[in-house]
Amino acid sequence: MTATQKPDRSDRSFFRITRGQASDYVLYAISLIGFLAVWWIGSIVLNKPYLPSPPEVLDAFIKSFDKEQAKAIGGLTMGPQVFASLQRFLLGFGLALVLAVPLGLAMGYSRIFEGLGKPIVEVLRPIPPIAWVPLFFVAFGVFLGPVMTIFLGAFFPILSNVMFGVKSVDPTLMDAAKTLGASKSKIFTKVVFPYTIPYMMTGVTVGLGIAWMCIVAAEMIGARGGGIGAIINNSSTIGLYNYMFAGMVMIAILGIVTVGISKFIEKRVSIWMGMK
Amino acid sequence: MDGNEVSLSIQHMTKVFPKGEDQLVALDDIGLEVMDGEFVCILGPSGCGKTTLLRIIAGLEKKTDGKIMLKGREVVGPGPDRGMVFQEFALFPWRTVRRNVEFGLEIKGIPPEKRAEVAQKYIDLVGLKGFEDSHPNQLSGGMKQRVGIARAMANEPAILLMDEPFGALDAQTRNQMQKELLRIWAETKKTIIFITHSVDEAVYLSDRVIVLTSRPGRVKTVHTIELPRPRDRASQEFINLRKNILDELEQQRQGI
Repeated sequence: MTATQKPDRSDRSFFRITRGQASDYVLYAISLIGFLAVWWIGSIVLNKPYLPSPPEVLDAFIKSFDKEQAKAIGGLTMGPQVFASLQRFLLGFGLALVLAVPLGLAMGYSRIFEGLGKPIVEVLRPIPPIAWVPLFFVAFGVFLGPVMTIFLGAFFPILSNVMFGVKSVDPTLMDAAKTLGASKSKIFTKVVFPYTIPYMMTGVTVGLGIAWMCIVAAEMIGARGGGIGAIINNSSTIGLYNYMFAGMVMIAILGIVTVGISKFIEKRVSIWMGMK
Repeated sequence: MDGNEVSLSIQHMTKVFPKGEDQLVALDDIGLEVMDGEFVCILGPSGCGKTTLLRIIAGLEKKTDGKIMLKGREVVGPGPDRGMVFQEFALFPWRTVRRNVEFGLEIKGIPPEKRAEVAQKYIDLVGLKGFEDSHPNQLSGGMKQRVGIARAMANEPAILLMDEPFGALDAQTRNQMQKELLRIWAETKKTIIFITHSVDEAVYLSDRVIVLTSRPGRVKTVHTIELPRPRDRASQEFINLRKNILDELEQQRQGI
């Protein structure tokens, strides 16, 4: 037996901050503080209503959760609007995941499915999801319209990443499975599918980012349906720019949190699966 | 060895690759019989089609012509009766050592308790006790190939096909793995076909060395190695045998 050490399990532990990571966090903090400083100074120098200072935005952000205060922006309290946006988000994203994963697997594994699916994908992919918004409002209404936009935004990144994952499967792994007696369907379930999981997670992360852009744009175009986009849109119409910024901050927070969680899971999945 | 029963028989086997308008004859009229429990090395320069030959036996590639029989039954397509060990190990990275070794048993539909029992037997055989729950990326090259061997053996194939299995290992690990393989072979009495381009490895390991010519690949000579095991690489007989085969390969290279 070679003198290899017994594997160190701590490599697989969940939370672990290395020295390099710690210094990264210091840089991140400097970057954010610098950004806030530039914003603040800018708002003082510019002295225009459309650029409120960070404390004003923070104040509006807190007030926007209060039912009484939110009457100023047409009674769109932040809590319920975030909930409305999240609902659409989950629905649209879930739909994208449920459809894009099996389709990506089929198009990656079978030449017939690829041949049938690819032309449609290539034609639809370059159209920005936002371009569909007017149609979706007419066809699906104020709630489901944005849902469909999110669906489109998340669908293609997940689809193409899953397809790419299937095509990246190491052919010797498939050979190994064949010599161990695996049928084509067993190769799919026991080799191709697990191999694709990290790629799927990459698709989810990319899709999340795009989905947040889509939802706000869709809600702003059809502000009647409510949502964070409606807060941004309504506040700017009536000149309450601090509330508009509060809505933008909310989107940033939601985006960072969801993409962050997704990236974290993505990384952990790769490590757990021994693929990194 | 189990005596004189034929395990694998290859008759007039030919493999032709289409190459534009032309055809490339990779393997030409290969005839070979491997006895039960025999250790056969197939040796040849790179590009002689030795890996193609092994892949055809494994059923991973189709032959153009000829016949391959294993234990009296014709070989068509891949099957668990022929285990294969790959140069690149080809372990499933998301599976632990145990679950890699259990793969073939899972396919066969063997219940979990029985699976674990068989897997443990082969993990112990290849000397990986204590590493059952490690992932392949936590193992050294030599250990990975031990998993590869255990995984192929756990399926209890009639024959073990090894495609330059130690080619990716450093010299020291390679020698150690050769010893280990001979021990495993002696314990299990498995029939083994081993592909290599190392004359030293072939003479050290096998009962017979089959030398292939290159383009087209034909059986050039067959050397029976009767040295008792464990073999001493420094012994005169070993050196002579190795020299004979090396000279032969050199003549072939010069086209004599």
